[in-house]
Amino acid sequence: MTELLQYVVTGLMTGGLYAMVGLSIVLVYKATEVVSLAHGELLGFGALFFWLFFVALGLPLWLSILVMLACSALLGLIIERFAMRPLIGQSLFSAFFMTVAIYLMLDGIFALILKGGAVGWPAFLPAGNIYPGGIRISLSSLATLGICLSLFGILAAFFKYTKIGLGMRATAEDHQLSQSAGINVKWVFLAIWAISAMAAAIAGVSAGNVMGVHYYLPFFILMKGLVAALFGGLDSIPGVLLGGLILGAVESIAAGYLAPIVGGGVQEVAAFVFLLVILIVRPHGLFGLARIERI
Amino acid sequence: MQRPCGTFDETYGQDTAVVRTKPQWGLVIAGLIWLLTVPLYGGDYVLGLINHISILIIAVLGLQITTGYCGLVSFGQAAFMAVGAYTSAILTLNGVPFWLALPLAGLAAGLIGLIGGAPSLRVKGFYLALATLAVHYVIMYLIMHLSITGATAGLHPPPPKIGNFVFSSDKTMFYIIVPLMLLMTYFAKNLARTKLGRAFVAIRDNDLAAKVMGINLYYYKLLAFFIGCFFAGIAGSLLGHWWQVVAPEQFTIVQSLIYVGMIIVGGLGSVAGVFFGVISLRLLDEVVFLAAPALSAAFPTLAMDIAAPLSGVVFGLVIILFLIFEPRGLAHRWEIFKTSYRLYPFSY
Repeated sequence: MTELLQYVVTGLMTGGLYAMVGLSIVLVYKATEVVSLAHGELLGFGALFFWLFFVALGLPLWLSILVMLACSALLGLIIERFAMRPLIGQSLFSAFFMTVAIYLMLDGIFALILKGGAVGWPAFLPAGNIYPGGIRISLSSLATLGICLSLFGILAAFFKYTKIGLGMRATAEDHQLSQSAGINVKWVFLAIWAISAMAAAIAGVSAGNVMGVHYYLPFFILMKGLVAALFGGLDSIPGVLLGGLILGAVESIAAGYLAPIVGGGVQEVAAFVFLLVILIVRPHGLFGLARIERI
Repeated sequence: MQRPCGTFDETYGQDTAVVRTKPQWGLVIAGLIWLLTVPLYGGDYVLGLINHISILIIAVLGLQITTGYCGLVSFGQAAFMAVGAYTSAILTLNGVPFWLALPLAGLAAGLIGLIGGAPSLRVKGFYLALATLAVHYVIMYLIMHLSITGATAGLHPPPPKIGNFVFSSDKTMFYIIVPLMLLMTYFAKNLARTKLGRAFVAIRDNDLAAKVMGINLYYYKLLAFFIGCFFAGIAGSLLGHWWQVVAPEQFTIVQSLIYVGMIIVGGLGSVAGVFFGVISLRLLDEVVFLAAPALSAAFPTLAMDIAAPLSGVVFGLVIILFLIFEPRGLAHRWEIFKTSYRLYPFSY
């Protein structure tokens, strides 16, 4: 029992990470109806920016976090303005593949900067483990979960209580209606890309903190984030939180109980088998809206 | 098709012909003669390049049928190639001749494609793309963890042979790969003009409307996956026997993404588009690989091996530019060019 609980707790910690990436994908999907793979690399670049300012330039922690967020937001704005904006009105497949192309391009730049290796990651969060009730919890993972929950909390409050947030929710419902109600939809798209890029960057820094920044990090986390978002329902923010946490737990349990039987790496494929099952059984996810199609 | 003034179709055969006029026949025959005589004077480098392009054309033709004609976005084409490559490698290593293993590899990939395409019955669009991505991941996981596929080390399939004649060089493989590529192109070009191809296009344009018109969606969607993956299996098998090695790193997810990018650059829903897309992007890749050593000498602060990441950057950039400036691909430009030279002195 303790063993199972241990796997679940460890999984939930990693799940927070997946939920954050999933969140950035869901934000963009809700506003623009495009599933973005580019956020995988926004995540990687967030971690790189943080490393650049905190380690290479030696700025203080709070300042490097602020500058990192600003740089990521700027990257998101550039992508929206120069790559996604020209595709408004074209098929969603074009827009989707545009994000794939951006992913491939940024991935190449990411590899060029990393030179095929990994960057030395600074330990700025408390290290070590605590043992409540015989379960091992690493403090850095706990911090990740805390960051994830507060990010969701801040964004939920932002969408619920601010006027800009209300405008964004209205845009997600219907572009034309909200435009005629006086909302600047172009501006909302820009803002959403900036916010989601910052969310992805925070996920990147947290991921770097837990598992180090290496070449495969963006792809690895991106896939998990996508599974989390699809599981929760692509247009549901509470759904993606739950989806990420459940995915983390499923993966951890699979790694704990299946890996001794079928060999290592099973937690990787577990996430994808999970995705296939979700897509076949419940394509719109846990909380997503089932769309009714008309001709 | 627009033709010069005074040229009429008098029979049904003329109306449906692909190659219509005598000059076109001349060009087709001259082109075929040129292509098939390249080994007489071309070096191994040129032959290798043509072989690789031909194999890619076969794989991307399959993807064009699934994605371009039937509208089912598949990010798993490289994994289906892997299924074909491994099937034929395992069969030939166990004594089955290459000539039997090749179609069996196509069939095996097609059957796995039926399983991989099963989510298309429930989901479409992004959801399907992500489902095929998951299928890609699962297939590659199985290949890397089963003992029959040689795990990460891969397999070494023998080269094809007839009697005592062994097809082991680029030059000899050329005469297997290129005719097969031409055969598959012929098949794909004609497929699009049959009832099957029209059903695929109807499903792509609106699958609900297609269903209302009496098209059996389950049958045709799965058939699109079967045919697309059959092409991939043939391409994979040829690649394995040409390189005489089959390993998991030849079939990555990035490869699958690049194949979809090739049909976007070439043009969705057109066989000519496959040729434009594959040839232009493969040659671009070659240029990057040739230029990479010079670039890393000029900028020593960059990584030692910059070719692979650099080709990713260039490829992503090309796709971005095409999506913004010419979303209908090079095939559309080619159509515009053909129309304008046929009507040359007049603008319309």
